[in-house]
Amino acid sequence: MAKKKNKQLIRPWCWYCEREFEDEKVLMQHQKAKHFKCGLCPRRLNTAGGLAVHIQQVHKLEPENLPRIDNALPGRDGYEVEIFGMEGIPAPDVADYKRRKEIELGLAAGSISQPQAKRPKIENRVISEDDLRRQLQEHRALMGLSNPESSTQLSEASSGSIFGAPQTYAVPPSPMPPGGPPMPGQFPPGLPPPGMMPGMPPFPPFPGGFPPGGPPPGMIPPFPPSQGFPPGMAPPFPPPPGVAGMPPFPPPPGFMPPPGMAPPPGTPGFSPPPGVPGASPPVPAPPQFVPAQMQPPAMAPPSGPPPQSQQQQPRPEQTGRVRQPVLVLPDPSRAQTNQDFKKPTDLKVKDANFSPDEQRAVHPKYFCAQTSHNQDSSSSSLADQPRGQKRARAEDFL
Amino acid sequence: MSGFDEASYTTVPSPPFDSISSIRFSPTNPDRMLVSAWDTTVRLYEVGEAGAKPSALQAKFDHRAAVLACAFSADGSKGYSGGLDTSVRELDLASEKITNLGAHNDSISSMTYVRSTNALITGSWDRTIRFWDVRSPTGSHIASHNTPERIYALDHVNNTLVVAMASRLFHIYDIRKMDVPAQERESSLKYMTRSLACMPDGQGYATASVEGRIAVEYFDPAPQIQEKKYAFKCHRQTIHDVDHVWPVNSLAFHPTYNTFASAGSDGTVSIWDHKVKKRLRQYPKYPGSVASVAFNCDGTKIAVGISYTWDEGEQGMKTQNITPWVGVRKVGDEVKPKS
Repeated sequence: MAKKKNKQLIRPWCWYCEREFEDEKVLMQHQKAKHFKCGLCPRRLNTAGGLAVHIQQVHKLEPENLPRIDNALPGRDGYEVEIFGMEGIPAPDVADYKRRKEIELGLAAGSISQPQAKRPKIENRVISEDDLRRQLQEHRALMGLSNPESSTQLSEASSGSIFGAPQTYAVPPSPMPPGGPPMPGQFPPGLPPPGMMPGMPPFPPFPGGFPPGGPPPGMIPPFPPSQGFPPGMAPPFPPPPGVAGMPPFPPPPGFMPPPGMAPPPGTPGFSPPPGVPGASPPVPAPPQFVPAQMQPPAMAPPSGPPPQSQQQQPRPEQTGRVRQPVLVLPDPSRAQTNQDFKKPTDLKVKDANFSPDEQRAVHPKYFCAQTSHNQDSSSSSLADQPRGQKRARAEDFL
Repeated sequence: MSGFDEASYTTVPSPPFDSISSIRFSPTNPDRMLVSAWDTTVRLYEVGEAGAKPSALQAKFDHRAAVLACAFSADGSKGYSGGLDTSVRELDLASEKITNLGAHNDSISSMTYVRSTNALITGSWDRTIRFWDVRSPTGSHIASHNTPERIYALDHVNNTLVVAMASRLFHIYDIRKMDVPAQERESSLKYMTRSLACMPDGQGYATASVEGRIAVEYFDPAPQIQEKKYAFKCHRQTIHDVDHVWPVNSLAFHPTYNTFASAGSDGTVSIWDHKVKKRLRQYPKYPGSVASVAFNCDGTKIAVGISYTWDEGEQGMKTQNITPWVGVRKVGDEVKPKS
């Protein structure tokens, strides 16, 4: 079963040009026609070696004057590798191809390239009580429910695998009606919480804009986590010179800020990007762009700090594990603006706050979210953990 | 594009499939280099001779995510890598074994190996510099030092470490006293820092911005030394009365002559003599952005990596359509100061 699936995902492909084919027969025909065709006569050979011998013997060319193999990718136009259909492809190139295929198909790393036998095993094993509890919690979190009891467990289990759960499911601190909620951390069932538009999915990326008066001080960006100020501690930053009234980093053309990307906290006078009315939430966004801390803490009643802190405490650690494809300035007070040019100028890199590499790193093609599977980079608290045991699993086997 | 003569280069077989992030030469073998790339690999090449001996791919190390930085150990037997998956890895170049040394909290942007103390220094967007003792198998993470901003580049000479950060900040450290920076500076360039390299004579460093400009700075805080620092424009072109300004992606000092090479997204590499403020040579324009340059340890060769550097986002990737290419050429008198 597993093998069959693998077959469907990876079709026969040509090493020389990385084209895919229905089956190996077609692939061999392709190779004969495109890559192993003699340029000096109509003859087609079966392999690169055959072609080399043919050219040397029939056309009397010296071995060093052999033409490169036609239509091949750079670096793959040599005669050293003997390819016949799918036979003979160097192992690193197979692994490389599979990995790129995984990325292309949006599959998890290793889903093609690693043996799949393990998965059924995991599914069939008896689910332990711990796992059940964890799954229940994850489910609850997903459903937007969290009672004080479970959040206590959350913080107790802070070193456990629960924080490997994708950030998507993190419960944002629930916005509370400013008059004392019935139960901390719980929405009245069936009633959309205040501050949300009726009919909106729970937790819109950016519910209803900020409360009047600008974003509350004390909001912290979703990452980097460890340096984030404790909630409520961040001083209100003075507006960076020259940016009041406009987004602090105008997105360069070609770079769309992910929907839900919020302005750096504490930039008064932020006005939403053109085209987005201030009062309504931005374009529907995938929920993973919801930075947990974006929920204005000011909405929470002052009477409920204990559940609030319980919910928030584990979070910095959590965001350390699961990164989000958004760029947030760690220190908005240092936001940069590019000077104007005296002459007409085409500056190729326009963003003054994030380097091309940083922007590339959050592009879906490259973005690397750390997940719980990512054992080797598990240590956001390096000093506390003996790394010895993890080492074995940490290696890349590709 | 005219004038670029591939024959004067020895190219590497099977170059990375995606953009090149850095090129490093071995400190002991002038013909060995590591190339890290966005295709999640670090590749080790044996550089050949143009027209005589082809270059060879000796090893390829696959990673979980794009690799942004690599380095050689002092004896050249090991490599190190770091990138988007935040892990610091040791690459055994002989056995091709990968060992995990530890991790940062965000992508690793830069690294340098300190020969005197056998420490690897890594810089990350998580706003820390971390030191790794690479000789001990466990607990190799020695120290972590916080910086005010995301680290874009770092380099060292002797015991001086220069850290270039976002928001145009620079810290200069004495490696033996890492608790406080010896100097904190703001870039003399008005635009984002893109690259950095220390002078091999230990006097200072060169840094470049995304706005086609290079600054030459000196360590000595004495006013008469500091007033020698300067900056100049480069890697730009006026087309129809519009200045096109490209980022300077990479800087590399020549190990003996103290001149340096700069590489820009305009597809050029220039050699500069910063003492007399003169350009010594500009190599014929390459078919795409130059992502990285490096001199080998004896200063006889320069490696040039061509690939798209994301200057104009995803769109630019399609419009520019640059095939990654790594070439090595011999350098002659053009890298020597004219005296």
